[in-house]
Amino acid sequence: MLATIPTLFGVTSISYFLIWVTAGDIVPGVEINPYIKQEDIDRIRHNLGLDQPFWLQYLNWLGLPNLAQQLHLIGGTWPKGILEGDFGRSLVDGSPVIDHIVERLPNTLELTTTAILIGVLLAIPLGVTGALRRGSKIDHALTAMSVAGVAVPSFWLALILVLVFSVQLRAWGLPALPSSGAYSPLVGFDPLDRLSHLVLPALVLSFGYLAIWSRFGRSSMLEVLSQDYVRTARAKGMSERRVVYIHALRNAVIPLVTLIGLELPALVSGGAVVEIVFGWPGIGRFALDRAFGHDYTAVMGIVTFAAILVVLGNLLADILYAILDPRVRYT
Amino acid sequence: MIDPAAVEVALPRTDVAGTAFRPAQSYWSESWERLRANRVGMAAGGLVLLMVAIAAAAPLLAAYVVHHNPFGIDLYATFSPPSGAHWLGTDEDGRDTLIRLVYGAQVTLTVAFLSVTVSLLVGGTVGLIAGFYGGWLDNVLMRFVDILLSIPAIYLLILLTILQPKIGPVQLSTSDPRSLAVIIAIVSWGGLSRLVRGEVLTIKNRDFMLAARSIGASDLRLVLRHLLPNVLAVMIVAASLNVGAIIITESILDFIGLGIQPPTASWGNMLTNAQTYFYHSVWLVVLPGALIFITVLAMNLFGNALRDAFDPRLKS
Amino acid sequence: MSQHDDAIGFEQFERFVEEWSRRDFLRNVGIGTAYLAFLAGGLEFLEACAGGTSTSSGNVKEGGHIVEASIADLKNWNSVLTTDYTSQQMISMINDALYCVDSNGNLFPLVAKDKPQVSSDGLTYTVSLRQGIKWNDGQELTADDVVFTYQLMYDPTYTAVNSPRRGDLSQYLESATAKDKYTVIFKTKTVYAPFAVIHLASNNYTILPKHVLGNLAAADINTASYNSAPTVTCGAFNFVSWEKGSQVTLKKNPNYYRGAPHLDNYVFKIGGTSTTVLNQMKTGEIDIAFPGIGAIDPSQFDAAKSVDTINVYSYPRLSFDFFAFQLDPAKPASQLFSDKNVRQALVYALDRTAIAHALYFDQATVAGTSMPPASWAYNKDNQPQYKFDKAKAMAMLDAAGWTSSGGSTRTKNGATFKFTMITNAGNKVRENLLVVLQQQWKDIGVDATPSYVDFNKVLVPAITDTRNFDMFMVGFIWGPDPDQSALWHSRNARKGGFNGMQYKNPDLDKVLDDAVGTLDHNKRKQLYFQMQQILAEDQPAPILTFPNGILGLNKRVQNWQYGTFIQRGAYLKDVFVTDGK
Repeated sequence: MLATIPTLFGVTSISYFLIWVTAGDIVPGVEINPYIKQEDIDRIRHNLGLDQPFWLQYLNWLGLPNLAQQLHLIGGTWPKGILEGDFGRSLVDGSPVIDHIVERLPNTLELTTTAILIGVLLAIPLGVTGALRRGSKIDHALTAMSVAGVAVPSFWLALILVLVFSVQLRAWGLPALPSSGAYSPLVGFDPLDRLSHLVLPALVLSFGYLAIWSRFGRSSMLEVLSQDYVRTARAKGMSERRVVYIHALRNAVIPLVTLIGLELPALVSGGAVVEIVFGWPGIGRFALDRAFGHDYTAVMGIVTFAAILVVLGNLLADILYAILDPRVRYT
Repeated sequence: MIDPAAVEVALPRTDVAGTAFRPAQSYWSESWERLRANRVGMAAGGLVLLMVAIAAAAPLLAAYVVHHNPFGIDLYATFSPPSGAHWLGTDEDGRDTLIRLVYGAQVTLTVAFLSVTVSLLVGGTVGLIAGFYGGWLDNVLMRFVDILLSIPAIYLLILLTILQPKIGPVQLSTSDPRSLAVIIAIVSWGGLSRLVRGEVLTIKNRDFMLAARSIGASDLRLVLRHLLPNVLAVMIVAASLNVGAIIITESILDFIGLGIQPPTASWGNMLTNAQTYFYHSVWLVVLPGALIFITVLAMNLFGNALRDAFDPRLKS
Repeated sequence: MSQHDDAIGFEQFERFVEEWSRRDFLRNVGIGTAYLAFLAGGLEFLEACAGGTSTSSGNVKEGGHIVEASIADLKNWNSVLTTDYTSQQMISMINDALYCVDSNGNLFPLVAKDKPQVSSDGLTYTVSLRQGIKWNDGQELTADDVVFTYQLMYDPTYTAVNSPRRGDLSQYLESATAKDKYTVIFKTKTVYAPFAVIHLASNNYTILPKHVLGNLAAADINTASYNSAPTVTCGAFNFVSWEKGSQVTLKKNPNYYRGAPHLDNYVFKIGGTSTTVLNQMKTGEIDIAFPGIGAIDPSQFDAAKSVDTINVYSYPRLSFDFFAFQLDPAKPASQLFSDKNVRQALVYALDRTAIAHALYFDQATVAGTSMPPASWAYNKDNQPQYKFDKAKAMAMLDAAGWTSSGGSTRTKNGATFKFTMITNAGNKVRENLLVVLQQQWKDIGVDATPSYVDFNKVLVPAITDTRNFDMFMVGFIWGPDPDQSALWHSRNARKGGFNGMQYKNPDLDKVLDDAVGTLDHNKRKQLYFQMQQILAEDQPAPILTFPNGILGLNKRVQNWQYGTFIQRGAYLKDVFVTDGK
C-alpha cells in the first residue's frame, strides 16, 4: 500500500509533463483571432502563471511551496495545491476544477455502473450456459456473439442504435428513446426520463464488457468444473444442480470479480466515446474537451482523480479476492 | 507446460515388443495439429492472411486490377453508387471506394500488427527480465508499469498524439501509420509485460528450470532456451487478441480526430467521415464498418483457436 | 415612397430576386409573393439580401420554451473574458451591450437610446442611454456600469484582468467617461470608422454590473463566481442554471426594458456532433440549429430539407477559407509566386463552382471579391471575376515562362513549379480543399503537395511568426465592418500579424487607412471598391467561397430573424412558438 504514493507521484508528474509539452505558447481557451494582440496573450499567460518553468508550475500545482510556507520554511504567499486537496482552477473559466468534477461525476457513474451491472448480470448466465453446454450449438452461438461484441467500434454501434430506436421509431410514430443527453430540459428530476435517456448509452457501453466477461466466465467455469473437488462432489452423489450452482459457480465467479474490481478506473474514464456520441455530460467527455483545449489544471484534476481510483481499484480487487477465496488469505 | 528440451530427455525410448508407441512430439507440433483440426480457427486465420495479402498487394491492384488510385479525386462523380467504372462506388470527393478500402487495409493492418509486435518486444522483454531476476529490478520495472497503467489510456493516447514526440531520428506523427503504431504500443505494452511476468513467475521454479540451472546453464541460455518458449505461447495468444482491439482503437482515435489524417485512407477514418455523409451514400458507412467487423472477428476467432491449441483444457 | 426611392427599390428588388433564386431559400414562395413582401417589408428587409425572417403566420402566442443546440460548451459568462462564439451567443441572450448589429450591418440601439452622436472631428462619440433600465435585481443601469465595463478592458488598474481585448481596445480608445447618469463619452485616439460597430455594438462588450463586480480586485474578476453564474443581468432572459457539459437554462426577464419576451424558457442543449444535432431536430428534442453553435452540416442540407417538421435556411456568413501565396522575397517559394500573372493563372485554374458543389454541397457562394456579398461595400461588378478557365490559366503560365513538355510539371530556368501547401489537420473542409487544389493544379502542370499540421503548434506560428511556408490555407472571419486591414495591410506583416503572406502594397495601405479614417459612408464605399479592384488584380490570398451557414428551425419557432449581420439581441424578445409549449 505504501507503494501507491510514489505511483501517484509518478502518474501526476508524467501527466503534467505531457500536458505542459503539448500546450505550446497559447492561452488555454482563447481562440486565435486577429483582434487579439501578442501583448494580450503574453499578459494573460503571465497572469495565469504559464510562463514559469515547468518544474515550478508542477510544484505549485502540488502545493509544495504552500506547505513549506505553512511550516515556515519559506516566505511569501503561495497557492494551495493538490496535496491539500485543492484541485486548482480551470485555466479556461477560472472556476474550481473540483466543482466541474463533482458536477459531472454522478452522471458518469450513473452510466458506467449501469453498464457494468448489465455486463455482469448478463455475462454470468451466458458464460455459465456456454460452459455447461460446452461444444453445443448454443455454446458456439454464444461464443460467436461475444467475439462479435468486441469487433464493433462503439461509436458505430451507437449510431446504428440511435438511428433505429430513436429516429426511425419516432418516424413511424411509435414511442421512441431519446437520442442524446442525460435528461430532458425543463423536466426537473424525473427518474423515468433519466432512465429512458440511460438505456441506449448504457447498452452500448456494456457491450464490450459483456463480450469479454462472458468469455472469461465460461473459461473460468470450465476450469472449475474440471477440478477434483467438483468430481468429488459428483461422486458423493450431490445433485448436478447443487454442484454447479452452489459450489462451482461461486468459485468460478471469483476471478471475474477481480476483473470487475480492476475496471474501477474505467468507471471514470471508460465511457468517454459513448459520452461524446450521446452527448452525455460526464467526466470522460469533459476531460477530452479540456485536453484539446489545453486546460491543464482541469485535465490534471481528472487524471489525478482517475489515478486514485486505479489505486483504490487494485486495493479493492485484492480485498475482494481475499474475501472470496480463502486460499489467498493465508499466503 | 512441457519444456520441449526436456521431453527428449525424459521420454523413455523403450520398445516393448508388439507395442506401437507414439513418437516423441514436441509441444509445438502438437499444438499445430490441434490448431489444424480447428476448422473455424483455420478459416479465420486464412481470412486474415488473405486481407494481409490484399493489403500488401495494394499498388499492384491499383495499377492492374482496379485502375484507380486512392487519391484521384473527381468532383463531378461524388457519391456515385457501385458501377462498372467504380465497383464499390465513390466517396465524397469522387475517389474510388474499393481501392481506398484496399489501401486502408494496408494502413489499418500495419498499425495493428506493427503495434502488437512492438508491444510484444518491449512488454515481453520487460516482463521476462522482471520475472526472471525479481528483487529490486522487478519492483522498479513493475512500479513503472503501474504508473503507466494508472493513466487512463485514452488521455495518454491523446496527449501523445497531440505531442508528436521525436524518438531518436523518428518523428512520431499521426499521419504515418508506423508512428501511430508506436504510439499505441507505448500505451499498451504495460499490460503485456504484466502478463509475461506472471507466466515467468509460474514457470521459474519448475523442475526443468531448476534442472537446467543445476547443470550450469547461463542466465541468457535459461531465459532464451527454456523460459521464452514456454512464455511464447501466452504471448502469441495475447498478441493475436490484441490485434483486433487495436484496429478498434485506431477507429476510435479517428473518431475523436487524432488518428490517421485524410486524405490517407484507413478503415477507421473512412468510417468516421462517412457518418456525416450517411444520407448521401450508405455504402460509405457500411463497407469500412463491415471490413473492420470481419477482420476483428476473424482475428479474435483465430486467437481463440490458438489459445485452445496451446491449452486444450479450455477447448469446447 | 418617392419615385427616386422606387427606382432604387426596384433595382434592389431585382438583385434580391436574382440572389433568391440562386440560393433557393424559401423555395416554396414565388416571385409574386416576393414582390408583395418587398412592398410590405420595405427597403430595410431587402438591403439585407441574404437575410430574412422565419415566416410568422398567425398571432403571437405567449409562453412556451425553445431548445437550441450547442455543440461546444460555453466557456465563460463574462463577456470581458471570452473570445469564443458560443459563449458570446449565450451571453447575448441574458445581457445587452450598448448596441447590437442589425441586418444591414448597422447599429441597433439596445442599452443606448439611439445612434451615437459623433463630433465633427470624428474623435468623440456621445452615447445617450435609455433611462429606467433595471438590472434584474432592481438596481438601475447607469453610465457608471458602462464606464466600468470598458475600464476592465483598457484602464491600467485592471491589467490583471485576463481580457484578450485589451490590446485592441486600447489601440483606439482614449477614454470612456460618464458625463452624467445617462450619457457616456468615448474619445478615440484617431478617427477610426469601425470603432462604433466593433467596440460599441458587439456581444464582446455587453455591460457588466458595477455594483456586483466593482468591489473585486482586478485579479479576482478572473475567478469571480459571476463568470459561472451571472445572476445580475439586464437582457431579455435571466440565468437560471448551467449544468456544465449538459445544458444551460434561461427564463424570461419580465422586466426587460424593451418589453418582456414572449417565451417563458430557453434552453441550450450542449454536446454532440452535427449528425446528432440533425437527429435531435428530427425527433423534436431540439428546435433550433444555429450556424456557428450547433449548425447542420452542409452535406446534410438536403436531408434536413426533407424533414417536414423543420424549416431550413441557408445564408452566407462572414467566415471563409482562403489560401495565401508566400510573397516574401527572402523565402524560396516566392520565386514561384512573385509574378502576379502566375497567381492569377492559378486562380483561373480553379473550378470554384464545382468546389462549391462538391465540398459545400452548393451551400456556398463563390467569392467575387474579398468582400462578403451581403456587405454594403460589396462590388458585384468587380473585375476580373475569375470564372474557371483552364486554357487561359495554362496560357498565362506559358506566357510567364513556365513551360511543360507533354503534361509534366512546369519548369522555368531549371526550377520546377513544385511546392507544399499546409493547413490544419482535423478540419475536413480544408483538408478536402487542399486535395482538390492539388488535383486541379496538377491538371495545368503545377505540382502542389498537401500537408496537414497541428493548428496551434505549427500553422499559427507559420502564419504569424516564422512565415515558413510555401502556401497556407486557413479560415478567417470578417467583422461587421468592411475594414480588411487585418489581412492586407503591410503593418500586419510584422510578427504577430495576420498578413502572413507578407503582402506589401503601399497603394492598398493608403486606401485601407483612408477608408477607416473617414466616417463618410459613401467615401468609404468608393475606397472599398478600389480595394476590391486592387486585390482582384494582385490576388495575394484568393478567397474561394463564402460558405453558407445553415439554420434549422422547428416549424413552431416564429419571428426568428437570420442573416449575415444580424445579431440575436435585436429580435430575441419577438420570438414565439406556435404551440405556446
